[in-house]
Amino acid sequence: MSSLQAIQQQLLHAVLAADSIPPPVISGNAIASAGDRLAIYQHGYRVRLRDALKIEFGGLQCMAGKAFENLLDKYVAAHPSEHYNIRWYGAGLAAFLDYAHPWRNKPQLAEMARLDWAISTAFDAADESSKDIAELSAVPPEAWAGLRLSLQKNLQIVTCLFNAAAYRRAADRGDTRPHLRRFDTPRQILVWRDATTVHYRTLENDEWQVLVAALRGETFAALCELLAAHRGEAAAMPRMVALLQHWLAAGMVQGWTL
Amino acid sequence: MAMTSNERPHSLPYLGYGLGLRVEHYEALLADPGRVEWLEIVSENYMVQGGLPLIWLDRFRERFPLVMHGVSLSIGSTDPLDEDYLSRLQALAQRVEPAWVSDHLCWTGVQGVNLHDLMPLPYTEEALEHVVSRVKRVQDTLKRRILLENVSSYVTFADSQLTEWEFLGAVAERADCLILLDINNVHVSAMNHGFSSMDYLRGIPAERVQQFHLAGYEQGEQLIIDTHDAPVSNAVWDLYVEAVRHFGRVSTMIERDDNFPPLAELRAELEHARALAEPLLQAAA
Repeated sequence: MSSLQAIQQQLLHAVLAADSIPPPVISGNAIASAGDRLAIYQHGYRVRLRDALKIEFGGLQCMAGKAFENLLDKYVAAHPSEHYNIRWYGAGLAAFLDYAHPWRNKPQLAEMARLDWAISTAFDAADESSKDIAELSAVPPEAWAGLRLSLQKNLQIVTCLFNAAAYRRAADRGDTRPHLRRFDTPRQILVWRDATTVHYRTLENDEWQVLVAALRGETFAALCELLAAHRGEAAAMPRMVALLQHWLAAGMVQGWTL
Repeated sequence: MAMTSNERPHSLPYLGYGLGLRVEHYEALLADPGRVEWLEIVSENYMVQGGLPLIWLDRFRERFPLVMHGVSLSIGSTDPLDEDYLSRLQALAQRVEPAWVSDHLCWTGVQGVNLHDLMPLPYTEEALEHVVSRVKRVQDTLKRRILLENVSSYVTFADSQLTEWEFLGAVAERADCLILLDINNVHVSAMNHGFSSMDYLRGIPAERVQQFHLAGYEQGEQLIIDTHDAPVSNAVWDLYVEAVRHFGRVSTMIERDDNFPPLAELRAELEHARALAEPLLQAAA
């Protein structure tokens, strides 16, 4: 008699291997052979994982087109699921596309997967309250220089050399597939959730640098200095005010410390 | 009739006729629940940190009695129990305050790999002892009895010494847990393995049956596939009638997991269940 552990390991490996020869621990009968019975689990395993990925990677499906199915098959074959919740199965897809042949020769696919996944994880990230402009206005003038913003923890920045956001948008809206574009310089896509809605947009270069500095915990004075280096002294403060208003209105600011 | 709810020493509240809560029916259920009396949530769908899933959950919690139904406990796996999963399940139960918590009599993975499927167990004394000890651990952690559901299966194991119903009944008795009897799964497994579904019903401890699932399947070339993506079949309705005769008043729900019809169709199925069961229950009262 095989131990329970041995039986489970044999069946697991038979399902993962998609081997047509069933392990001796399982039986067939007149209704169906052991092989036909095993095949149901083998098929179901792959379908479930592929379906889970299709839910999370709409942009990638749009970008990869007909190659999407093959891409999913290869990922499923290379990556057994390790998390109890199938919702997390796609966590390794972008990294897989970074290194696996032939996808590594198309870096736009990994980039697209990274953006899709950022949107997916923002969707059910932890709830955080957000501040509005009236609350920030109550900060005394003498405290502004040392103010450090706390931004929403669900906020992510994805670097894109290609127009991945356009593919995601097309997928979300059911629009026709856009043409692939490679940018001259990388762009930064901001992903965040405002209350229950996930947003993504391209950051201007100065906003990206200020946002990254704010995420590092730099003071308001340091953020203004950064902007001054980009836009000159005179334009720095109006730009900082405009960015702050924008971030507050978008629900990106969770709080601050003085 | 073998049993009424009043005779169930372990009985939790009787909830009536309910549905599995799915995203596809969120809006319609809040707009017009009809006679849907309770809802079963898939626990893992709400084991998230925040966002819309939990907002919807709270809305339904205000309107309906809820029960929690998991797919990832993997009570039969020889891997250690997933402590992270258990603590998240416990946290969700504290938030939802469900009438009960259920999962499946199965394993979903081993060696750290998850198949995301409800894999059947060999019905051996070793497996029985293993499952019983783990059910006790889970019940101690959650501080409540859990319900275990019979799964549809396609393979049997050469080493099995017990029938499925003997195994399920023994787990329930020895671990002091309750049973979620999926009528569709009984039928699917009976057809796939060639046993009598009536033997199954008669073979499990009636006083531990707390909930019924009703669902649809797909007829394959040789085997029946438990897809939960179709209306309840006539054969399963017939077996449901037998189950009501045998077990008496048991909270019943329709479980649809794919190919979602308009809510009205599921409500009509639920009304059909009510129409089949109530005359029998009233005649027996």
